[in-house]
Amino acid sequence: MTIPGAKQTSVGALVIALLIILPLIVNSGFALTVMSQTGIAIIFALAFNMLLGQGGMLSFGHAVYFGLAGYVTAHVMNGMANEDLPYMPVSLIPLVGGVAGLFFGILIGFVSTRRAGTAFAMISLGFAELATGLTLIIIFFFNGEEGVQTDRWVREEWFGITYGPDIQVYYLIAVWCVIAAIAMYLLTRTPFGRMSNAVRDNPERVQFIGYNTHRVRWLAFSLSSFFAGLAGALHAVNVEHVGFETVGLGQSAVILIMVYIGGTGHFAGPILGAILITLLNAYLSDISPAWYLYLGLIFVGMVMFAPGGLAGLIMMHDPIRRAAPHLLMRMAPAYAAAFGTSLVALVGCIGLVEMAYFLSTTVSRNTALILYGIALDAADFWPWLVCVALAAAGALGCSRTYPRLAESYGTAMHEARRAVAS
Amino acid sequence: MRILATIACLTGLVVGGFFAAASTSASAAENIKIGLIEPLSGPIAAVGTDALQAFETAAEQVNAAGGVLGGQMLEIVPLDNAMSAEKTTQQLKKAVDLGLKYVIQGIGSNHALNIIQFVNKHNKRNPDKALMFLNHSAVTTAFTNELCSFWHFRFDANVDQKVAGLVTQMSRDSSIKKVYMINQNYAYGKSFQSAARAIMKERTPGIELVGDELIVPFGKVQDFTPFIAKIKASGADTVLTGNWGPDLVRLIKFSAGANLPVQFYTIYGGLTSSVAGYGADAHKVALKQVNEYHENHDGLSADSVAFGDTYMAKYKDTWYSDRQRWLILMLAEAIDKAGSDDPIAVGKALEGLTLDGPLGEVEMRASDHQIQLQLMVSSLTRDYSRPIMYKGNDFKIAFATDGVISRQDTTLPTTCDMKRP
Amino acid sequence: MEVFVFSLFNGVLYGMLLFLLASGLTLIFSMMGVLNFAHASFFMLGAYFAYQISQPLGFWPALIAAPILVGVLGAAVERYALRPVHRFGHVAELLFTFGLAFVIEEVVQMIWGKVPVPYDVPPSLNVTAFAWQGLDYSVYRLFMLLISVGIFVALFFGLTRTRIGLIIRASLTHPHMVASLGHDVPKVFMWTFGVGCALAGVAGVIGGNVLGTEPGMAIQLGPIVFVVIVVGGLGSLGGALIASLLIGVLNNMAISYDFSLYPIFSLLGVEREAEGILADLVSLTTGAIAPLVPYLLLVLMLILRPRGLFGTRDV
Repeated sequence: MTIPGAKQTSVGALVIALLIILPLIVNSGFALTVMSQTGIAIIFALAFNMLLGQGGMLSFGHAVYFGLAGYVTAHVMNGMANEDLPYMPVSLIPLVGGVAGLFFGILIGFVSTRRAGTAFAMISLGFAELATGLTLIIIFFFNGEEGVQTDRWVREEWFGITYGPDIQVYYLIAVWCVIAAIAMYLLTRTPFGRMSNAVRDNPERVQFIGYNTHRVRWLAFSLSSFFAGLAGALHAVNVEHVGFETVGLGQSAVILIMVYIGGTGHFAGPILGAILITLLNAYLSDISPAWYLYLGLIFVGMVMFAPGGLAGLIMMHDPIRRAAPHLLMRMAPAYAAAFGTSLVALVGCIGLVEMAYFLSTTVSRNTALILYGIALDAADFWPWLVCVALAAAGALGCSRTYPRLAESYGTAMHEARRAVAS
Repeated sequence: MRILATIACLTGLVVGGFFAAASTSASAAENIKIGLIEPLSGPIAAVGTDALQAFETAAEQVNAAGGVLGGQMLEIVPLDNAMSAEKTTQQLKKAVDLGLKYVIQGIGSNHALNIIQFVNKHNKRNPDKALMFLNHSAVTTAFTNELCSFWHFRFDANVDQKVAGLVTQMSRDSSIKKVYMINQNYAYGKSFQSAARAIMKERTPGIELVGDELIVPFGKVQDFTPFIAKIKASGADTVLTGNWGPDLVRLIKFSAGANLPVQFYTIYGGLTSSVAGYGADAHKVALKQVNEYHENHDGLSADSVAFGDTYMAKYKDTWYSDRQRWLILMLAEAIDKAGSDDPIAVGKALEGLTLDGPLGEVEMRASDHQIQLQLMVSSLTRDYSRPIMYKGNDFKIAFATDGVISRQDTTLPTTCDMKRP
Repeated sequence: MEVFVFSLFNGVLYGMLLFLLASGLTLIFSMMGVLNFAHASFFMLGAYFAYQISQPLGFWPALIAAPILVGVLGAAVERYALRPVHRFGHVAELLFTFGLAFVIEEVVQMIWGKVPVPYDVPPSLNVTAFAWQGLDYSVYRLFMLLISVGIFVALFFGLTRTRIGLIIRASLTHPHMVASLGHDVPKVFMWTFGVGCALAGVAGVIGGNVLGTEPGMAIQLGPIVFVVIVVGGLGSLGGALIASLLIGVLNNMAISYDFSLYPIFSLLGVEREAEGILADLVSLTTGAIAPLVPYLLLVLMLILRPRGLFGTRDV
């Protein structure tokens, strides 16, 4: 803790270096697309967390601003290509999306942020349903189910950048991702950011000291919509297509799940969630048809047992590390035991789910399922017995190891506090 | 903050590991791999997995007969898009990574349009890695009109052709006097509506259009009673609809419940998922569909019958169409004819290629890459020789032919101005 | 006039089904303050259970057994999952039920597949009771109406006139007092949740065969149920009834009369022969946007009168 901000800067430099190097070490168009989508998801997730984490507003319809901005961006790019609109570099086009998001955010936010809590969630749901319905009906702007096509290769920009090759789009997204993340991080440090937290935690008191809670929420909502719109514009550039599903409930649900699993209480939480879920969505869904079930179960598990999300789980250990890092090592055996038993339970449960899915979706003479690299007959009795046994043994083990883990954490915390006190 | 740095490093490692594992280079295997981009997970995965089964069955038939190019096998590579545009793009990139030269898709016109735009741009930017799109079920007519592309071939009748088939059959039934149209309010439903208006004016001038309704699509309408009441009040004897999924199932269920005395002319009334949804109401309404094939038609070609039998033996399912079979057969023949699997050569070989379809010769029209085919209109009935089966369940109902629509009657002009490489 | 009465009648038929679904949700909310996002999923489970039970045993056993099963499942969810989440607050509860809806949909697909199941109206009730305007109404439609009305009456009197109702209502407002009088408040909550879910199950049993039983049915109907209870006023059973009927009737009228929306746009100076984006708007009719009307109603209600028609407190 020598120079304030030095560590942030070093972390930032590390992240930027990583962003530059990553596409050079992986040479695959698929991976590049996934990384670009991850960048967009990070911006969107951080924007969403301005509402959920920092402002305490649970929205079931934030994709409306993401999607509408995407539509506007696609139309602007098409207009530039037809020379109906004055030219602006595609590098700066995310700002158009941001402004579009801001516009809709100010408009709809004025109405919906008059209430907080459950009412806000319900209004967001109402607007989401309205928006989805209208995207299908109003053909002129949304072009129905087919959506709006666009071409990001408008003309050659600085240094011969055309945004034809995916790698250029990746770097565009990376740059905007870093800019947006820094901007949103700095926002949390402003008096507005603090007021937003205060409105979340104790609106009565905020009103008492003379602040208008509606106005604070409205501002937070509008700014969040700006960044959501920025992400939407990058989505339009990346996919070169904006369809009705971008404003829909599904898109809103995915971002909510990302942010919550990552952790709403810490700035890095949504980043973590966005990376993890985008990756899993890209890779796991090819491996398992039950992917959405796993995603739902992870989410429900997080709500029940770790409301702080992944970031919350990691940050739990920060006080211990700060006080006495060696205490972390002492927790290792408890962790190993808990992980081991969880793994056994997981292997059993995943086996059961995969076999059930296999049987319900493919009825053919061929009941061979490749599970964990082993070809099984899912209609047979033995694989089920083994999986049930594994799941039961794992669950039984977990019921022993988790209390021990909690105990070991408690002890470590206690010692850490003592170490700080002394 | 050091924790943050650790998170960053760990994430980097995980990400790198993921990509390292994923970016296995394309293997130079003997097989000719064909990507199939369809929803294999999510709410409508059943439709995608069914299509996958049909293509695998067709590929197995080609392989059993010795494959292509003197012994190379066809292999279907399933690529799940979960019905999302983002994942469709991901899977297209993956197809390129895997070195695929052909992708098949058909469920969802929006995804088909994305693929057309993608292959157009991709093949312009990377002519040495050209990718061809074989469309098995996306019916938007524009794909073979103003949006036509050398890289896109459609093996299914488009909306206009299907509507032409329905209207032609209607013109043969002199009892039809008044028709009520009900469609989903989005691009497909509207194109059905405009095609039906135009073709009815031409082919059934004596039939009056007494209603023309657009509804909010995709299961948003729960209660169809008011629509049924309007149909009844209009005095219509026939309902012409492009609806599919829950929007069709509920229309049929509510009509059956109210004993509405009309017949339904549909495009998608015979999809297995819809037939499953009608339940016991299915036989209470006169439901008709237009298609290129159904299992109870007399005089199907032997190959079509054999394909249906193979599929049934393998999956205990009735396969409701024939186009997946002829797509694979025509591709195999074009590859043999071109003497290589180069998409440009194969594309040129596909143009004008003919094949024995279930009802006679079908032809891939060179000018717009739209298949030209016979269609048939059939009705749901309990009087059948083979019932519709799905996953071993017998629906105790099946289709019987009302009439065959000749190729001449389904041949429509195109506005396509094809640019060939 | 005939058309008016006719649409009114059809609107009531549909509205009462909505009410049956909403009654469980409003019961849970008024007693526990939990807005159960997964309510429509319990409705779906009711339909699937009924299908499964009616296959071997017929409709009547299913009508009894399926709601009980759903209710027990709901009570178990409350006891083992929702109760631990309760300490994290209402937003966490909402998130939990949201995730639960997601999981239930996947599990249903895992067990019963992704295509609709043929769950049918029982043949004994599928006979015509009367015809009106040329449409036949089966005994089953009247049976649905009867069940819905019966449940409204039972709930209303149960809550306001019986000792159990008194304890339930007191548990919400004065949990400590009720506990000191020797009642097990957590258990009251558990069974309230269970009964609420069972009501959704009843709606599933009698509605699933009319609307179609498929994995998408929960997500299609879920948001409308929220509209009903928010518009009616959270926690108000009478409000839920009025709101259900309002939405049912509005839906029917919008389609039957099919007014053009052009007059509204003409006030804004839009020409009838407008082009581009305006052409889509000018050609809109109320019938074409009928399913969106409830959401419009929701947004307006929350802006103008956040406590809903008969609510006693804001949302």
